[in-house]
Order: sequence, then structure tokens, then C-alpha cells
Amino acid sequence: MQANNPQEVMPAAVDVDLSRPRSRPRRLTGMERFKSWLSSSGWYLIMIVFALITALPFLWTALMSVRPTSANIFQTGRPPQIIPYPGMIGWGDGLSTARREGEYIVLPNSEEAREGRPVGVWRNFEPAMRERIEGTALEPLAFPATTANYHRVWTDVELPRYFLNSIIVAAGVVFLQLLTSSLAAYPLAKMQFAGRDILFYVILSTLIFPEQLTLIPVYIMAVNYLGFVDTLHGLIIPFGANAFGIFLLRQTYQSIPNELIEAARIDGASEFGIWWRILLPLIRPGLATLAIFSFVGSWNNFLWPLLMLRDTSLYTLPVGLAFLEGAFTGNLRTVAAGIVIATVPIIIVFLMFQRHFIKGLAGAVKG
Amino acid sequence: MAMPAYVSNQETLAEGAQRRKRRRLVTAYLFTLPAMSFLIVFLFIPLFAAVYLSFTNYNLLTAPEWVGTHNYSRLFDDPLFWRGLRNSFIYLICTPILIVLSIALAIVVNRPLRGVSAFRALYYIPAVTSIVAIGMIFEFVFAEPAGLINGALLSLGWIERPINFLTHPDSTLISIMFVTVWRGIGFYMIIFLAALQSVPDELYEAAAIDGANKLKQHWYVTIPGIRASIIFVAIISSISALKVFEEIWIMTNATGGLLDSALTLMFYLYRQGFINLELGYASAIAVVFTIITLIFSIANLRFLERNTDAS
Repeated sequence: MQANNPQEVMPAAVDVDLSRPRSRPRRLTGMERFKSWLSSSGWYLIMIVFALITALPFLWTALMSVRPTSANIFQTGRPPQIIPYPGMIGWGDGLSTARREGEYIVLPNSEEAREGRPVGVWRNFEPAMRERIEGTALEPLAFPATTANYHRVWTDVELPRYFLNSIIVAAGVVFLQLLTSSLAAYPLAKMQFAGRDILFYVILSTLIFPEQLTLIPVYIMAVNYLGFVDTLHGLIIPFGANAFGIFLLRQTYQSIPNELIEAARIDGASEFGIWWRILLPLIRPGLATLAIFSFVGSWNNFLWPLLMLRDTSLYTLPVGLAFLEGAFTGNLRTVAAGIVIATVPIIIVFLMFQRHFIKGLAGAVKG
Repeated sequence: MAMPAYVSNQETLAEGAQRRKRRRLVTAYLFTLPAMSFLIVFLFIPLFAAVYLSFTNYNLLTAPEWVGTHNYSRLFDDPLFWRGLRNSFIYLICTPILIVLSIALAIVVNRPLRGVSAFRALYYIPAVTSIVAIGMIFEFVFAEPAGLINGALLSLGWIERPINFLTHPDSTLISIMFVTVWRGIGFYMIIFLAALQSVPDELYEAAAIDGANKLKQHWYVTIPGIRASIIFVAIISSISALKVFEEIWIMTNATGGLLDSALTLMFYLYRQGFINLELGYASAIAVVFTIITLIFSIANLRFLERNTDAS
């Protein structure tokens, strides 16, 4: 079975350089600069409008996640409350005390903690902040933000565990796919043997079948024979090989000169030794592409874990997220906080590895 | 007369070559063994099993019962199957919209403007965010009456009653399609950007000399220059439009929408297979589904092959 989102089929060899525009404009005179500013401002306008369309849903969710009460952001006859300022900020126990008294501080290893009082740090900044904002133009737009929703979703739902499960599953899938694909692609690219081309085309032709076709039989096997229900390895093993990965790495192997392998064979190296010591280091870019590709596929996989898991402690992040609404009926602030916690790490990882990401996932299309 | 020594020598050489060839064969297949074992168990066998199951009634508990083509004739008379088919084809409207918007955006961010890389990265973020999270985010955006869109429009006084994005049978599917387009633009933009950057600048200069304005330049130079990418995107976005599932599951709370208004073929497969446990019937849906996507998949595969040969 293959978890390939068709959007992600065919990662690639084309390197789009996101980090820098193709060419820098030359230095311009004052008037020219004004003219170019004028002409480029139209382009900026388009880009900003589209940036807003992209970012607003995320910002809206972030805004909801720090709301102190269930009151709506938009209320009739009032300006929207869209500017957060520090309100009840903190972590741990003692929130209700802090609501009454304005503050609750019991640090771990402190005397009070040793006496048995629950550990937590909360402080209500609202009164102090409100004084500053009062009377300014910002006042009608501002609201006191809180970390309480984050604390609640972090402790009430086992989000950290979902994270861990997702990481274990994704790591397992990436490891297996890299191993099986890099092993299988080597003879397909670099050895002459009977049946090679048939084997390759059989593997390649499986790409035309949607995973929906194999879903039901694999499900039956997983439930009736393999005991995959409520196990993490059951989320990994069905994705252990990837026809597309074999195809991708075969291409990478083909770019390695035959002389290199011949020379190693003459020196008496075994085929396995050649693969492990010489070829694997050389196909690292292809491996990185496949790794990113299978990681994102596994990280976002929803249907298979949904079918396999009943035990909530084994939920992966997407499944845990999907059931968040059930867990906090009506409390959308907490749900929003859960979404932020689940999304921000992957966005940070993306921004850190932007170039590799794009290279790995964008199409290899020669225009 | 003694046999010349070299004859026997040649024989051992031939035998040696034979032996090496055999060893190479064994080695080659050993290398493919791990991948092939996974593929056989989780891909090849299930492919045939799916076709077999589509001719049976099966509910996981009792043995499959052969019913011939009954499942297929049942499909033919099943209004929900036709509903799913219709909705899946409606979903294909996403493809041309995605192509036009992402080409336009790619052209915009292909200009050497200051800070353009930050915009490109921002546009790509939805593509790496999980569909589940995005579906939930858009439930907040579409919420009534205080979601992002309804809240803003109501408080501006532009509408009097909230728009029923996900709570009216006529609008549910369109609202979900909007999310698919929203998520896809950045992804396909990157594909087109790569293609645009491979169109030689000289072609634009030549067109400009011939008196083509900017718009005409794009029509006569850009579009033909990125033709291959357009075909590629058309294929993969059509396939993913047919396969759409998560968005619908999340945004209709696993129901398929009011009055099954957002029921696609894939969602119907899920419902029959895993909710009603009609695994034989669901397999028949899967087979039909496969035949439909096959048209697109084969095009995709041929495209892939052609590009491999070229490189």
C-alpha cells in the first residue's frame, strides 16, 4: 500500500531557489527608483493580498487559541477584538486561585511544593495592562490573551503522546522506505540480470493504481491476520516499500559512473560492500528527497491510522486532532490551541529546511 | 595426441562466466527481496484480492460469499453511487482553477522583487500543513455566525444573515473545494515557478521586439514554454481531486455533508467499507474508482517515463 498523496507524486530534480530572486536589479537613480517603486508596488499589492488570503485562516486560529472566554471576536455594533495583550499568563496548576487572587506561584522544588501544594505559575497581567491601554485608540480592539487554553489541551488530551507516536511512525516509515528502496534500486539501475526490465516495469506500473484499491484487502489482512489493530508497527509496515521511491533512487543511481563500480568489483569488493560503502554516500541527495517525501506523507497520513486505532493513547497527531472537537465540545478555544501546537512545529521545520523541502516535493518538470 | 591445454582452460572460463552470471542473478534478486516482499504482501496480492472481493459479499466475520456481478448491478441502481460519481466529477473543477491561479501567482513571484522569497515560502506553508489541521482551521473560518468570514461580513454590514458554508446542501461541496484550491495553489505555484525559470529570457525579448505587450508575451511565450508543467499539474491535481477524502471527513464531521451533499466516490467507499462493513460492495466501488483514475494515472505514468528518457 502506498500513502502517496498524488499531489506529492514525483519529487524532483528541479531546484527552485526560494532563498533569493533570480537577479538583482541594478542600482538606479532617484527618478528611476521612484518609477520602479511605482511599478513594483502593484506587484507587491497582489502579493500582499494573496499573503493575507494564505495567512488569515492561520492567524484567525491563533487568535482564537488565546481568547480568555467564549465571547466572539466579532460582535455586532462593536469593533472586532483582534489585538491581544497579556492577560492570564502561566503554566501548571493554580489557575483558579490566580483568577481569584491575581497570582499563583509555586515553583518546583520550592518549599511550598515540598509541603504538597501543586506546582504552577500563573499571573494575571490584565489589570496592569488595561490601565495602559485605557483611553488609547487601541482599547476597543484589544483583549487580554491567555495561555490557559494551551495548558488545558496539553494536559487534558495526550498531545505530547500523539506527537511522539507520529514521530515514531514517520521515522519507521522513512527508515524502511529508504532501506528497501535503496537496496532494490541498485540492481535495477546498475546490474545486468535476467528479468531486470520486467521487474522494473512491474514495480513502476503499480504506480497507476490508487491506494484506495488496495485499501480494503490490506485492511482485511491487518485486522484478520496480522493483528495490526491498535499497534504502531501496524501503521509502519504496510508502507515499508514505495514503488515511487525505487523509481526515484534508480534515477539517482544511474547518474553514478559505471567505472566506479567496476573498479570496486575488480578490487574484490562484494556487491553489498559496494552498495554500503561507495553508493549510499553518493546517492545522499536522492535519499534526502525520498526521506522528506515519505516523512511528510506519513506525518499527514490520516485514513490508515483512523482505521487501525481505537486506543486513544496510540493516536497519531492527525487522528488526535480530528477527535479534539469531540473531546472539547463547544470549547473551540482549546481546539484552536491544539491545532496551533500541532501545526507550528512542522511549519518551523519547513522554514528551516525550505530549500530541501521544495526540492523534494515540487515537481520535476522540465518546462 | 594430448588435448591442447587451452581448450580445457576455455571450458573453465565459460563455466566461470556462467557461475558469475548466476551469482549476479542471485545477488540482484537478494537486493530487491526486502522491497519486493513488502510490495507483494501490501500491493500485488491486495490488487488481485480487491478485484476478487468486488464479486463477493464480505463483512470481515463470515467467509466471503461469491455473488457474481451483483455488486456492480447494485452500484448501477444505487443513487448514492451516482451522487458520489457526480460530486467527484464536480470536484474536478478545482483543476482548471488551480492551474490558472497558480500560474498567475508563479508569474508574480518570479519577478526579482525585494522580499519575494518570503512571500514564496509563505504561500507554500499550506502545502506542508496537514489536511486535517487545515480542515479544522476552515471550520473556524466558515463558522456561523462568528467565523472569520461571517463575523467580518456581518459586522461590516455587508450581509444580513450568515452564509451557510458548511450547513447547507447546496454550498458544502463548493466550500470544501475552496479549501482544496486554497491549499493547492502554493504547491502548484512552485512547480510552475520551476518551469518559468527554465523559459529563456531571449524569447521574451524577441517577443517584445515583435511588439507584443506584457500580456501577449505571457500568452505566446510563457504558456507554450511551460506546457509540459501544465499537463503534469492537470494530471496530478485531477487525480488528487478524485481522491479527496480528509477535507470532507473533517469538515462534514465524518457524515459526508447534509443530505450527503458532499459525498464523493472516495467517501462513499469509506462509508460502505468501514462504517457499514460491506467490504465486497466497497471493493466494487474501489474498482470503478480505479478505472476512472486509471485514465489519469496512465497519462501520469507515460509522462513520467518520457521525462526519464529525456534526462
